[in-house]
Amino acid sequence: MNERVAVVGYKQTKHTFDSPVARERMIYELVKSLFKDLGITRDDIDTFIFASNDFTDGRTISEVYTVPRIGSFMKDETKVEADGLNAALYAYMRILSGLYETALVIGFSMAGSEFRVPLTQAYTLDPVYERPRGIINFYSTAALQASAYMKKYKFTDEDLARLTVKNLQNANNNPYAARKEPTISVEDVLNSKPLYLPIRQAHVSAYADGACAVILSSKKAAKKFTDTPVWIDGVGHSMDTYYIGDRDLLGMEHLSAAAKKAYKMAGIKNPKKEIDFAELHTNFASEEPVFAEAMGLFKPGSGKDVVKNGDSGIGGALPVNPSGGPLGANPINATGLIRLAEASEQLRKEAGKNQVKGAKTAVVHAQDGPGAQLNTVFVVRR
Amino acid sequence: MPGNVVRARVPITFSYKNRVGHALEQYINGLKEKKILGVKCPACKKVYVPPRTVCGKCHKPIDQMVEIGQEGVLKNFTTAHVTIANGEITDVQQPYIIGLIKLPGASSLISGIIKTSSVPEVKTGMKVKAVWKETTQGDYNDLAYFEPA
Ligand SMILES: [Zn+2]
Repeated sequence: MNERVAVVGYKQTKHTFDSPVARERMIYELVKSLFKDLGITRDDIDTFIFASNDFTDGRTISEVYTVPRIGSFMKDETKVEADGLNAALYAYMRILSGLYETALVIGFSMAGSEFRVPLTQAYTLDPVYERPRGIINFYSTAALQASAYMKKYKFTDEDLARLTVKNLQNANNNPYAARKEPTISVEDVLNSKPLYLPIRQAHVSAYADGACAVILSSKKAAKKFTDTPVWIDGVGHSMDTYYIGDRDLLGMEHLSAAAKKAYKMAGIKNPKKEIDFAELHTNFASEEPVFAEAMGLFKPGSGKDVVKNGDSGIGGALPVNPSGGPLGANPINATGLIRLAEASEQLRKEAGKNQVKGAKTAVVHAQDGPGAQLNTVFVVRR
Repeated sequence: MPGNVVRARVPITFSYKNRVGHALEQYINGLKEKKILGVKCPACKKVYVPPRTVCGKCHKPIDQMVEIGQEGVLKNFTTAHVTIANGEITDVQQPYIIGLIKLPGASSLISGIIKTSSVPEVKTGMKVKAVWKETTQGDYNDLAYFEPA
């Protein structure tokens, strides 16, 4: 059995709203260039795990045609029908089992240009109640959650706009981000197209074409890849019911449970003090304070002060999404895995303009389902 | 770098006839009689609306149908300026309200459309009541919307 698992390599594409190449080439070039960076070949990988979705791919068992591109021909390979951080969780467990020393995890989609995102989202809703009724969807759920938070904690539209601008400024300095709006102002966000209020178009993450690949390895095998491994010291995973009316949209007990499990594994007692920064999978800007609070990173209801004091900014007490987060790029299936890659980059002091000084411990989060029904949390350290 | 991307159009059309299941079937039959039904978990006493057959928390079967009150409190709402159907986000002429409502006797909040004479009238905490279609036929639309009580 292996005892410790590390992130030893990672790479993401430059995400776009209209990829000039097909997904097969996008994936192939990404993996090849990661292998080249590390000086390895496909022979150095024991198991391969895809994060994809049959609806975002437009065919079932969709990895069959992408298998040759990632180097898993005639090798151990599987697919996770969820975000890439879930695939990383599978890879982590496979390595812990001792049956494998190394794993390649890859998530991708062409959410920017090839399909209607709300349609693939609709296919995840309850087919016999929510879908025929047409009221509850990912957007209206986010709006109900945002509305509950804003009313309870007097978090204003302007606070939400400031938080959106904070993320877009970070995204602007992120070379991989698809959405570049360097001049966007609080006023612009406040005046953007209303969808389901308080959610406006500017709050919505940037559904994009893109991919992310991450290599995990056992402690024993890590030296072969890098001198600066990033250790996965805690993991947690939890799912809530799919009925919105039965969920605590603010407390998010399931996310809280996943985070607590990960902290406990990593020996973290006070996440506010011990976590240096967070990379959260937010599909809407409004999710940031709700998730961060459920994960114990800030005091419940403190969102307004956090925005006012810039606590979640890059120089703040606990930076959240220094990469810009999914507001900068949300290539569905890769989005949570990108959080892991971004966090690893930060911990290895490779984050350029967005570098968080002295960061040693990070928490990484991914979600699936409307209103983050399912959550995965990793604690990573350098 | 290729300048023009050739795209294959690959529509997928499938149509299912999913069984709604025992619990929702009774719910829908209830709507026809202008009743809102839930199920009560024998273990934790939670009343789920819409009804389902298993309590996830207790992991026990639930089959005790109970009738829920029709006049309740609006707990949360969003003002919708669009609809999403078939994956398309479409603007609407008149913004409308989607609310989560606490009905007496139910643990779950029920989602529904709230209709008032004007949008700014809507406030959380306000009392609302179910409005039925004149002729019900046993589908979700029988419970047409909620209006101020
Ligand atoms: Zn129960």
